Amino acid sequence: MIKHVFKNVLKPLILLTFMLSLANSAWALNLDEAKSQGLIGEQSNGYLGLINNSNASAKSLIDDINRKRRAAYTAKAQKAGVELKIIEIRIGERLQQRAKKGEYVQRSNGQWQRK
Amino acid sequence: MLGCCILLSACAPTVQVAVPNEPITINLNVKIEHEILVKVDKEIDDLFSENSDLF
Repeated sequence: MIKHVFKNVLKPLILLTFMLSLANSAWALNLDEAKSQGLIGEQSNGYLGLINNSNASAKSLIDDINRKRRAAYTAKAQKAGVELKIIEIRIGERLQQRAKKGEYVQRSNGQWQRK
Repeated sequence: MLGCCILLSACAPTVQVAVPNEPITINLNVKIEHEILVKVDKEIDDLFSENSDLF
């Protein structure tokens, strides 16, 4: 009975969890890779921007992350009782401060600058 | 003695206080801005720990 439960319920669950964690780490790696390769960088508005317009995979990556970021920012803006814009500007500042050496950040004049 | 008093009182300094015509306004914007920033930064800290995969 216990064996049966393990085989039919737990095993697929464990496998699924493992696969999901792999997918998640691969995705995170992708973001860090794209940053360190200079394909994408932090803009001053709290969202990721494309440095090299010809890279389609980087574009789909940042579109996805930026969509999720916006949803998260909206929730946090409501919690803090401020407009979305306030959160966006402040997190933009902080993300640019946090950016590692060699990564790109976008200055207020629109120019990308390597840290 | 009386002469001394007269002489001393003549030397007593007087302070004149000029009362301004406009009411005094205290600018609270700086304090309010600081409080907002503290609140916003706390939410951002939470965001960094909850959704580290987005950053």
